[in-house]
Amino acid sequence: MSDELRVSPIETREVPGKRRFAMVVDTRRCIGCMACQVACKAEYDTPLGVNRTWVPYKVVGKYPNVKKQFLPRLCNHCDDPPCVRNCPVGATYKHEDGGFVLQRYERCIGCRSCMAACPYNARFMLPSHRTYTPITNVVDKCTFCFHRVTQNLVPACVQTCIGRSRVFGDLNDPTSEVSYLVAKNATQVLRPEEGTKPHVFYIGADRNQTEFGRDAYRKPDVMELQRDAFKRHFNI
Amino acid sequence: MGDYVWFHDVSWHATYAIYFFVIGICAGLSFLSYGSWRTEALRPLREKAAYGSFALLVVGGLLLIGDLSQPLRFLNILNPAYLNFTSPLAWGALNIVAFGIASVLYLAALKQGSQARGKVLATVTALLALGLPIYTGYDLTVHQSRPVWNTPVMPVLFVALAIASGSAVGAILAGANESAQRLLREYLLWSTAAVGVILVSILGTTNYGGAAQELTFMILTTGTMGLIFVGIGIVVGTAAPIALLLAPFGRQQVGVVVAGVLVLAGGAALRYALLMGPQQLQTLY
Ligand code: SF4
Ligand code: SF4
Repeated sequence: MSDELRVSPIETREVPGKRRFAMVVDTRRCIGCMACQVACKAEYDTPLGVNRTWVPYKVVGKYPNVKKQFLPRLCNHCDDPPCVRNCPVGATYKHEDGGFVLQRYERCIGCRSCMAACPYNARFMLPSHRTYTPITNVVDKCTFCFHRVTQNLVPACVQTCIGRSRVFGDLNDPTSEVSYLVAKNATQVLRPEEGTKPHVFYIGADRNQTEFGRDAYRKPDVMELQRDAFKRHFNI
Repeated sequence: MGDYVWFHDVSWHATYAIYFFVIGICAGLSFLSYGSWRTEALRPLREKAAYGSFALLVVGGLLLIGDLSQPLRFLNILNPAYLNFTSPLAWGALNIVAFGIASVLYLAALKQGSQARGKVLATVTALLALGLPIYTGYDLTVHQSRPVWNTPVMPVLFVALAIASGSAVGAILAGANESAQRLLREYLLWSTAAVGVILVSILGTTNYGGAAQELTFMILTTGTMGLIFVGIGIVVGTAAPIALLLAPFGRQQVGVVVAGVLVLAGGAALRYALLMGPQQLQTLY
């Protein structure tokens, strides 16, 4: 994305003097081990039923040409995030330096407007009871591991990624690995038509996964059990 | 099947739909109370509509606060240091508060029997009441990624629904008052017809949209959601009352009240389906 493509003043991509963190997910290297998901759960004590990052998969193709296609997902830390626009109390905001989209837990009223606004379903409501962490009943999501990145560490999911599918860095730095990968490869972002300018770039993402299929309409009955359990767990 | 092992819950649940319904009637009744200053036929409804509107505002406000996951933090939304004006919810909160204050002053003026103040406050209250369905519609419209919600006619639809629901309750409150019933029949007929036209245009454009739009159309028109949206919302709650009001029976008082009850059932169903239907698609994405 060049300078001319910048529309909103909130965007920090290619703004001199500012960092703009991004993640590249090379789906060709993802083996679906879910280590990233586990690392994230451990890092944040993310409760049962919700995830800051998750790795959905699909079996695509017809026998004998079949493959299991993984698409690691997380908040895209959009450069023009609709969740931030829609929060009535500024509880979700974009961090100027780095482009992190973050939460002010103590301010969130739990109206879930941001959840409705996010085209990627990256947000979730924390349950009312948690064993170790006192943050409850507010919306949460991936923070791009703000606390680690500001200590010069990479996010927990990137650190643990065994296939080196996830790469993290500053896209405004032309010498970073993410800049190299985005420059040298054809990349995809999810739902570019929403104008959110996502900052999770995929290499080799499959259309079967990035677009709505009929599956979304024909919800498998098997999911209803889990859905009920989920609702019971969250008292909804 | 079952490839996607992660699913997400919808953001807004049925409470919000009930809130839409209640606040729509609240606004509609406020319009009627204002109308009573301009049209003699509505005079018997003035106080009843004003009190009814205020009572529903209280119910609606409690529903809205109760639906928050942090109900006690609702005060944050009134904190000028926190308010984010790019969010329609922030505008909505200010609108509700302003409407509440205007309603209290209006009710006080009615109680004192002050004509001049009553008329001015009725106008202010009705204008602020207009903001309620507009903001609730806008609340959905701004979500760019949700088919059906993301249409500019949503606030217009909510205004039409508010007039229809308010007139329906007005018809029930008017009882045997013939001149009021005659006027309310006109309001009911035209507002319900407007709802019908807007629904046709929404459904038409949705069905011819992209994959997300088409899937949302399918969700809204089939299964249980289809029964609620098409069955109760469109057939029973929109088409049937229009037909009824046009028939000779619909010119009688009982006919208007029956049409009003149907419109209320339809209004509740439409608001529920319009809120919940478009949220379904993304839950498995
Ligand atoms: S992916 Fe969703 S939650 Fe994350 S910044 Fe974008 S809109 Fe907000
Ligand atoms: S749920 Fe919290 S973070 Fe989300 S829009 Fe409401 S107040 Fe903002």
